[in-house]
Amino acid sequence: MIEEQQPPPYPKLKWILSAIFLFALIMGPGPGLYLINDFAAAGGTLAGVPALYAWAVFWFVVEAGVVITAYRTIWRDLLE
Amino acid sequence: MSSFDLLAALDMGITPHVVLTLYMVMLLAFGIIGYLKSKTSEEDYYLAGREQGVLVTSLTIMATMFSSAAMLGIPGLIYKDGVSFLFFTLNLPLSGAAIYILGSRIWRIGRTRGYITPADLVTDCYGNSGLLRSLIALVGFLYVIPYIVMQIKAGGYLAQRMFPDTESIIFLGQEIGIFEMGTIALSILTMLYVLIGGMRSVAWTDVVQGILLLSGMLVAGTATVMAMGGPSSFFDQVAALPSAALSVPGPSGIWSPWKLMTLCIFASLSTMIQPGQWMRYYAASSPKTLKRSAIIFSTLLPSCFLFGVMLVGLGARVLYPPSVENGALMPHPAIGSQAGGFDQVVVAMLQEHVPLLLGPTLGVVFVSLILVAIMAASMSTADSNLHALSAVLTRDVYDRFVRPRAGERERAWFGRGVIVVATLLALWLVNLGEQDPNFKPIALIAQLMFVAMAFSCQLLPLALDALFFRRGSQTGAICGITSGILFVFLFTPFPQLILSDGLTASVKGLTGTLSGLFDIGFSGFVVNTAVFAIVSRFTPPPSKERLESFERDLNTNPHTIK
Repeated sequence: MIEEQQPPPYPKLKWILSAIFLFALIMGPGPGLYLINDFAAAGGTLAGVPALYAWAVFWFVVEAGVVITAYRTIWRDLLE
Repeated sequence: MSSFDLLAALDMGITPHVVLTLYMVMLLAFGIIGYLKSKTSEEDYYLAGREQGVLVTSLTIMATMFSSAAMLGIPGLIYKDGVSFLFFTLNLPLSGAAIYILGSRIWRIGRTRGYITPADLVTDCYGNSGLLRSLIALVGFLYVIPYIVMQIKAGGYLAQRMFPDTESIIFLGQEIGIFEMGTIALSILTMLYVLIGGMRSVAWTDVVQGILLLSGMLVAGTATVMAMGGPSSFFDQVAALPSAALSVPGPSGIWSPWKLMTLCIFASLSTMIQPGQWMRYYAASSPKTLKRSAIIFSTLLPSCFLFGVMLVGLGARVLYPPSVENGALMPHPAIGSQAGGFDQVVVAMLQEHVPLLLGPTLGVVFVSLILVAIMAASMSTADSNLHALSAVLTRDVYDRFVRPRAGERERAWFGRGVIVVATLLALWLVNLGEQDPNFKPIALIAQLMFVAMAFSCQLLPLALDALFFRRGSQTGAICGITSGILFVFLFTPFPQLILSDGLTASVKGLTGTLSGLFDIGFSGFVVNTAVFAIVSRFTPPPSKERLESFERDLNTNPHTIK
């Protein structure tokens, strides 16, 4: 006998979180960097730290936030 | 007294010896306890009875992923290329997500069907092909050997820094200096506890090594920031660096955003499906374990990088700027005397600044602990990779082609033999690289990491298709992975050994352009996927029954099958 699989609890959230994560990858280490690169090259700072460093920390927080949200909402395993 | 004089005068006394000896005794104790608790089965030796909980799973996955590169190679690249390489950290949340998204599926079907190696899963999906199994084993080999070489090199660097006054000895007519002694000590000790205790010892030592590694990363960063006058002063000095060090593509001009993005995506996925990690998914006690490991990995590890060890690289960039010599970027003499010296930035910085900050006694204890943490980072990756290579070559090659009727005991001994031979091979390559400055393949730790990851990435199209889509055919899988491996080989120095000068120039032109634009693994992945898809379109897929049964086991709770 095999256990029936339950439908996912938040069907659309999976796609929304994936889109945000992809966006963070494009904006963080990806071509989004060009938005801030000239400012960073001129020695620009954000909140007192070099602009590119602040940019990396911000997109890390976004990525980690997506993973934490997925953990709390859509990652439901058959064993749970 | 200048900082150089201080470094030269810093007497570390016997503290490093004591700390190192305690650490080594502890590792061997874990090896022996692992042996005493083990059963004689292959599953127990390779997967610790599939019973690993959250703490062990999360720390062993972290420790396996983060090697000497975490404490030497990556800070070395930050020192060399400035802020641009910080973005490599953004691969870690994706790696964390992969632990659950890929790992839970691998765990489910692995538990149901009793898999041990990655090839067990892939060949079960596409049909049992010896060629496909061998190619997957080859990918494992090509990933593991550069990674072990990298770790052993780190042992040599550390020994040079910890025991600079040790005199060379002559053994069998060969002069053995402190670098060679370090490489030999690290490799022999690692080999011993893997041989004795198998996965259980490897995972337990990974727990200790992982804790040492994470705290070492944070302490190193904090010490650097404090030594430079606190966070505000530190960032003011970093902001005053030349513009190339504050922007992409960095002083060496190689870190374009496209390259960084493809590196972040494909480096993370390739390291999370390399044989050592894949086997850790099988070894977890449940998917819940993997889920919790994923969250720890995604948040804790990147924090240790961004707010820890990467700041050491930036601080060194301020205090000891690299210079350009003969058109090549070279480290400051305080850091290292040759191109590979970039890797020694953390060790050099800590040796110089921590005793100034904490006083000579406490400072030396801290430096010794951090040096042991770096050694832990190296050993935790070397042990996992040696162990995984042993499983792959025993299960996928020896058991299938050489001695299909071998008993469990014979296979266990063959696996241990693999560990010894792989260690000696890696040791030989390291020493070859040290003796011959033209032996460029292993000049810089970080370069080895990228090549190894690029090979591992060639398993990705098959893994994604087997776990999620199941559209490919066996022939497509074989052609795809073969073309991916061959394509990545073009980026290594080996083609120039076998191709004519004209052809070598053409290959260099192509690979130079591609590697300037994208991650090497990504380029191989594109070729691999294209060939896999096209060949699969025109060749027969696996039988419907096989695919249905595979899909059912992927999506089924193994505990409910009666």
